Amino acid sequence: MTAGHAHHDGGVPTWPWAALLPLAAFLALVWGLARHDLPWHLTLPWVPSLGVELAFRVDGLSALMLLLVTGIGALVFVYADGYLEHEPRRGRLFLLLALFMLAMVGAVSADHLLVLFLFWELTSLLSFLLVGFNHEDARARAGARQALFITLGGGLALLAGFLLLAQMAGSWSLREVIAQGPALAQDPRLPAALVLVMIGAFTKSAQFPFHFWLPNAMAAPTPVSAYLHSATLVKLGIYLLARLDPAFNDLPLWEIGLIGTGALTAVWAAALALRERDLKRILARTTVAALGTLTLLVGLPNPGAGLAVVAFLFAHALYKAPLFMVAGNIDHATGTRVIDHLMGLRRAMPWTAAVAILAGLSMAGLPLSFGFVAKDVVSVAKADADLINLVSYSLVAVNAVAVAVAGVAAIRVFWGTAEHPLGRIREVSWKMLLPPLVITLVGLEAEFLPDLNAPLLIAAAQAVSPGAVFEVSASYQFGSLLTATEITLALGLVLFLAWDRLHRAWRRLLWLDRHGPAAGFEHLLHAIPRLAAWLTRHLQHGRLAGYARLTLVALLALGAAAWLLDAPGWPAALATPAQGAAWLVASLLILAGAGAAVLLRDRLALLMASGLVGYGSAVLFLFAGAPDLAFTQFAVETVLVVVAAAVLPHFRRQSPELSEPRLRNGLIALAAGLGSLALLLSLEARPLDPALSDWFARTSLPEAHGRNVVNVIIVDFRALDTLGEIAVVAFSLLAALPLLAGLRNRGAGT
Amino acid sequence: MILALYLAIAATVAAGVYLALSRDLFRCVVGLAVLGGGVNLLLFAAGRLGPLAPPVMAAGEPALAAGAANPLPQALVLTAIVIGFALLAFSLVLAARLVKAAVFEDSDRLRATEPPPKDAVKPEVLD
Repeated sequence: MTAGHAHHDGGVPTWPWAALLPLAAFLALVWGLARHDLPWHLTLPWVPSLGVELAFRVDGLSALMLLLVTGIGALVFVYADGYLEHEPRRGRLFLLLALFMLAMVGAVSADHLLVLFLFWELTSLLSFLLVGFNHEDARARAGARQALFITLGGGLALLAGFLLLAQMAGSWSLREVIAQGPALAQDPRLPAALVLVMIGAFTKSAQFPFHFWLPNAMAAPTPVSAYLHSATLVKLGIYLLARLDPAFNDLPLWEIGLIGTGALTAVWAAALALRERDLKRILARTTVAALGTLTLLVGLPNPGAGLAVVAFLFAHALYKAPLFMVAGNIDHATGTRVIDHLMGLRRAMPWTAAVAILAGLSMAGLPLSFGFVAKDVVSVAKADADLINLVSYSLVAVNAVAVAVAGVAAIRVFWGTAEHPLGRIREVSWKMLLPPLVITLVGLEAEFLPDLNAPLLIAAAQAVSPGAVFEVSASYQFGSLLTATEITLALGLVLFLAWDRLHRAWRRLLWLDRHGPAAGFEHLLHAIPRLAAWLTRHLQHGRLAGYARLTLVALLALGAAAWLLDAPGWPAALATPAQGAAWLVASLLILAGAGAAVLLRDRLALLMASGLVGYGSAVLFLFAGAPDLAFTQFAVETVLVVVAAAVLPHFRRQSPELSEPRLRNGLIALAAGLGSLALLLSLEARPLDPALSDWFARTSLPEAHGRNVVNVIIVDFRALDTLGEIAVVAFSLLAALPLLAGLRNRGAGT
Repeated sequence: MILALYLAIAATVAAGVYLALSRDLFRCVVGLAVLGGGVNLLLFAAGRLGPLAPPVMAAGEPALAAGAANPLPQALVLTAIVIGFALLAFSLVLAARLVKAAVFEDSDRLRATEPPPKDAVKPEVLD
């Protein structure tokens, strides 16, 4: 935070007491664990009408996650207070961190599927705000947006999966779903539900092909990276998979999905770690690799895998968070995280170097650290599962990269001689040294005093693999396991020594940047506005005839769909009217007018053809019991002649030959005509509902004192509508007046 | 007989649609008028044709005779005819005014309010 030094006014208040909130939660949790047996239950009514209640259940796995969230949370608060010493907006950061902690606490202890989903999405939202904390930085904004899209999108898939699971199990309770898990295997909806849940968990835990948001989220302030992106948020997906594992462990889909995705993620991320130069991004890549390994372990069918999962999860949080803090300390002291510029820092920053060595040891999985226990257990699980050898070998490679990265973070930057001395570097304040030191020491304590946390790990493991008996031991087992460890260490050493050469070779493969999943995601983002623009161009093109075509086709499609859904049928016989001859004449007049209107190109003739349709209609009205209509129609057609005489001179005599899609227009017109014919015939087949007509006929004399029912309807029953109609005619006249004035004024141009 | 009438109505609707889809502004407006007339006839026929007596009570009778025509569609169509006339008259004047200002009758070229886009993505107003 070199930019922060600009505000060296000392006026920014410090917030050491902010850490008291997570610390109090942590202590309360420890006190509760010591006093009360697991599991704990808490249920509060929330939306009883929808069956939603705030149901929480804390078992071993939840307790482990809660301890990590609150314990590391308290130390991250202290660390952030030192790291953001000169940041005026740090009150905001503490608020967001505290809210995030609460969301995590809710997510890992919720028993109701919808409540779990709610807290899950809350963590995504808060992660967005935290990653984008330095919102003036374009990279921070881009990283935050990417993380939000991917994790919220995955959250929606998760919701769909939860809805399916709840439907199948008939209960919203997570515990109930897990209890019914094996019985659901026959349900045809189960594969869809599991795939959706896996997508949700994979996006959250940065599994391939959604892995790229995690390295890009490294634009976040380092306390956020240490808290969210190593210890808590990204473990939420693993937590959910581990939680559901007892129910679906035997299903091939679950097993193959988790093992395949996990192995692919681990190998891919480990390989990409070699391409990075930024210490934080290197650590982020190895975090993705560790998450892949965890996913793979959850997928293993062996019951011993449960202990492996929780042990590795615990160990990873305890070494990765301090390593992120080390990277933050280096950044804070030197202003850079690029490993090429960092050498020989051990004299200037001895305490940071000590923390880095201890955490690096744990990451490399060397003896004397909890990481070794975890890796030991992992090896046992793998051997028991009789896994495909390829996956085993690939994990050896992944672990070797972890060893090499531990070497880079712990040795390379602190030892050796700097090529470009960075000037005077000072060790960071105690607030930034104590938290990583404490977390690392907890990791070491786990090695020397396994009795302290073995009950916790075993309780957590039993939630993942119920019924299994576990024993945590750190004893050396000679034979294949030790050999595997030795091979890993030797390979890691080679990678560490050849780091720069490998990096240069890898870096040259530029197609990875152009065609990887991250690039694909960006392409997708850019394709959305392009698609929107294309649609707008084709729907909103500014051509009147096109609009009319589109509207008509949509209307006809709606009508056709209504017809298909509820075909009204055809009339048995058509009624023969009494005034047949008069109607026939009217019909012929109308037909002739319609035909002539289509064929004639002279404007006056066109107008007359349309008048023919009108006069034909008037004749029909006259002989169908509607004299009022006939008179009105005659009057209108006559007045139109006057209007037309006024405007026709302004048009050319003949309509110009414009290129038009005549066939398409003709087909649309034909469809409209056939549609109205079908409508008329089907109306004949249905009984007429005379209720309204009868009511008007009955009441027009007694209530309105009128004998002409049509007139009574218009001027009395619907008087207000008629007033509106008169207003419309008046307004159109008012609007036409200035236009007519403009037409008269021939010399005025526009 | 009534089938001939139905065919005439359908032909009117089809002719109206065909004319309304034209790029020529005048044909388009006349098409709207023809289409309106066709829809009026359709509405009228939907109230059933048959009784020939106008829906008017003879003096001294308290209610409509049994053989009278359906008054409801007549009232609706009467309103529609008047509104349609106002629309047509105004449209004709407006079209004439537009043609006078723009010198051509092609509605595709009347683009003063929606000019063709220049940028492939950005809408015109945001520039």
